[in-house]
Amino acid sequence: MDESGFDASAFEHSLDRRLPTRWIGWRLRLLVLAALLGCVVVFAVMRHLATSPVIDSAWQLTPQGQPILVASRLSSLQPMVGRVLVSVQAEGKAPLVVDDLLLQRTARWLVVDGEAFIRLHQQLAEHLASGRLTLHFEDGHSVQIDTPARGYVGLGLPFWPLAALALVLYLIGAAVLLMRPGKRNLLYTTMAVSQAGNLLLIAAELTRGIGQPAGFALLDQMLRLGFDVVSAAAAVCVFALHPRRMPGAAMWMGASILIAIVWAGLASFGALQALWPVTQGLIVGLGTTALGLVSWSYRIEANPFAAVMRRLSLAAMLTLAGVTVAAVATARQPGAAQGVAAVSAVIWYLFFASLLLLVPFLSRAKDVLREFALLAGISTITTSLDLLFVALFSLGPFASLTLAMFLALGVYAGARQWILNKTVGARVMTTERTFEQLYRVAREVQAHPERQRPLCSALLRDLFDPIEVLAVAQSLPRARVAGGGSALFAPLPSPGDSPSEAKTLVLRFANRGQRLFTHEDARLCDRIAEQLRSAVAYDQAVERGRREERQRLAQDLHDDIGARLLTLMYKAQSPEMEDYVRHTLQDLKTLTRGLAAAEHRLSHAASEWKVDLAHRLSAAGLQLDWTFRADEDVTLTVVQWSGLTRILRELVSNAIYHSHAQLLEVSLALQAGTFEMRVSDDGDGRAPETWSHGLGLGGIRKRVKLLGGQVSWHENPGRGVSCAVRIPGLIAA
Amino acid sequence: MAVKVLILEDNPVARSFLCRVVRESFSDANSITEAGDLESARRQIALAGGPTGLHGADPFKLILVDLELPDGNGMELLAELAQYPATKIVTTLYSDDDHLFPALQRGADGYLLKEDRFEVLVEELQKIVRGQPPLSPAIARRLLTHFRQSGADGPAPDSGFSSPSGFQTSRPVPIEKPLDHERLTPRESEVLTYLSKGFTIKEIASLMGIKWFTVNDHIKSIYKKLNVSSRAEAAVLASKQGLV
Repeated sequence: MDESGFDASAFEHSLDRRLPTRWIGWRLRLLVLAALLGCVVVFAVMRHLATSPVIDSAWQLTPQGQPILVASRLSSLQPMVGRVLVSVQAEGKAPLVVDDLLLQRTARWLVVDGEAFIRLHQQLAEHLASGRLTLHFEDGHSVQIDTPARGYVGLGLPFWPLAALALVLYLIGAAVLLMRPGKRNLLYTTMAVSQAGNLLLIAAELTRGIGQPAGFALLDQMLRLGFDVVSAAAAVCVFALHPRRMPGAAMWMGASILIAIVWAGLASFGALQALWPVTQGLIVGLGTTALGLVSWSYRIEANPFAAVMRRLSLAAMLTLAGVTVAAVATARQPGAAQGVAAVSAVIWYLFFASLLLLVPFLSRAKDVLREFALLAGISTITTSLDLLFVALFSLGPFASLTLAMFLALGVYAGARQWILNKTVGARVMTTERTFEQLYRVAREVQAHPERQRPLCSALLRDLFDPIEVLAVAQSLPRARVAGGGSALFAPLPSPGDSPSEAKTLVLRFANRGQRLFTHEDARLCDRIAEQLRSAVAYDQAVERGRREERQRLAQDLHDDIGARLLTLMYKAQSPEMEDYVRHTLQDLKTLTRGLAAAEHRLSHAASEWKVDLAHRLSAAGLQLDWTFRADEDVTLTVVQWSGLTRILRELVSNAIYHSHAQLLEVSLALQAGTFEMRVSDDGDGRAPETWSHGLGLGGIRKRVKLLGGQVSWHENPGRGVSCAVRIPGLIAA
Repeated sequence: MAVKVLILEDNPVARSFLCRVVRESFSDANSITEAGDLESARRQIALAGGPTGLHGADPFKLILVDLELPDGNGMELLAELAQYPATKIVTTLYSDDDHLFPALQRGADGYLLKEDRFEVLVEELQKIVRGQPPLSPAIARRLLTHFRQSGADGPAPDSGFSSPSGFQTSRPVPIEKPLDHERLTPRESEVLTYLSKGFTIKEIASLMGIKWFTVNDHIKSIYKKLNVSSRAEAAVLASKQGLV
């Protein structure tokens, strides 16, 4: 794969691409339109259900799988409570014998009895349509009842939240597509709309009482199977494209779409012999393919989005497999088992819908959604377990439900944090370590403001442990999560304010590709940048304060002491005294200049030394031979500058006043961090080792030592003496 | 005819010292007027024909100005005397470019450091009056930066780290289209570059293969441009602030 490298230009492009900040114009209009359409559909379903006739009653199955009346609001049915229903009969029609299928709500999860269910409910609908029914109970009892329309109240309690959830899912799907129209989002929307349809159908199935509108049973079965096949095919397509385009994506997509179309064709013409096993196998197969694709994608590129998707898909697939197994296992068992299977299927849809709802908000860390998805997942497990107990150990429904509840709650309490961490991924560092690191970096930035950027990058790297880090020349007002949480754009604090220096750090795949970036992470980045900025500002304020204080000191010294020394110099009794005071004054000026200026470049200092020396030597009638070489122009500290200035001045003064020389050779050299100063005269001074260490020589030794160097005097081969000063590590000091 | 000299210096000892320097420097019989503060200096100048010196019958030919004065800064007087036809010299203890550059910008012809030896001062004073401008690497660097910034060349490549803090205040107002007289000729910037590296006039002359007085002329022309550019700058500033 040649795409494994980092495509910086794509990221710079995506930095520029902004989400529409407000819902304006056509997006809003289309969304409103979609919402209206959704509401119209829901309302139509509601109306259709409300106007269809129903036997307003509650039933249970006996262990033998016979429907037994539990309660009814019809007064004529009240005496029949506790009796088993045998058949229903409309006037002028043959009695319709009923069995356990009467209480089933949908053919979607009936492994073998699908057709029987549809036939029974179709006939029941026809009987109900006549308006009056005779119910034949066991032991020859029979009752004649009216079958009025269900009415909106008769839709029952589960209908409303389910329909609302369906609407929400549908709207989220529409919003995602409108937000950024594209192939991937279209696929997501397809899945969302399919599952919204499923939820709406489930809501319709779970209405109160017995009796569905004519034709509903068949339509329901086909639609729900169809929605599931479409969702599974869309899942394959999505993972073929996202988070990265897989090798042979077109082939995967084409194949899955073709399979869905072929299935739809065959199913609609009734050409499929074993509809349920074939379709369910198809769904599980496509789902497994999608899971395989996303795992493969993660292996190619450790994108945490793929990791999270793989976990979510795995959860969905495992629970789906569980529900399927349960449905198959209970297929031949009449009674309660099938009811539980139906409920577990409903819960699986809720779980899947919540996962779909969760996906667009993964990086936003909506805790409520996560918890909801978790709960739905756990409930699915509970019901699956419940089913298993019923099927395998023949426990009573209540006992098995209680046991399953306890087990699931235990799992939930024990593994909740672990599961949550696995969904979005835990932070790399503990809070304590994060704080320590941040504190350390802030201190370091305070000490070295110029290293602010590298330090900030290193901190972010440690904090998120991403697979790839790249700095791009872009300015960004705030940190931002991109790519559904797979990347984080963090603006780096810039040393200056000019936008041309702006840098943005792109972190990809947090925690070695195990974790998604969240909006909290982006905010954390902003906080860190702010903290470092204030650290630098603090440091700058301190430095400014220091400089101002130094300058004030220098000013005072210079103005007060300088003026007095000047007067003293003019009034000096002897030329020696005058020179002594002049040197003092010059030293004072060197000191105050050193205090006032923060730093000196070696080349600048050298040029000033040279002019000063030339000036003084020409006044004294000496010639100057000056050489200066530096392999690097370093910045001298105040201490170094004033030390070197005074050493050089003292050496030259000695030559002027004591050596009777004609020529002074001064050479300065900085090589590999070692500074060497050589002052050589052609005067009559000899045997420097015998010189008394007066104020001048002692001062030189002291200063050289202060700078961490050595000084030595030698006799020149011909005439005069030379002094060599050697200071290693001038840069490091 | 006597050369009229004005010495503005608040320290009496220093003032008499400078008087000796001036007398020693010029053999002509000169009449020296002393002033201890800005106020009396202004009075003396008004007596001698006013700050422009146009209708004054007998203006000062040489003015020595101290910077730190009891009633203000000598820099103010320099600014007032921009048109005055005299050689204006700053006498000061300050040798750093932060103090000297603004003075040169305001039309000072040179500066003397008061702590120098008597003979040195005499020689320097004679040089300045003869038309040999002051040279210091730091000032040369400042000049280079100044002209590069008023030109369109951007910041001087030589100024690797930030310039001293005092520099910010004398940063020229950006002028959209720099006038020709504000630009340095290539020769002039070459001379300035050598000066900033600490070369003497003689060394520069031999390096560039020209006579030393040609180098001197270049330096004088640079100072003239500095003065003109700072005046143009002031004019722009004034018109921007609605003063003109």
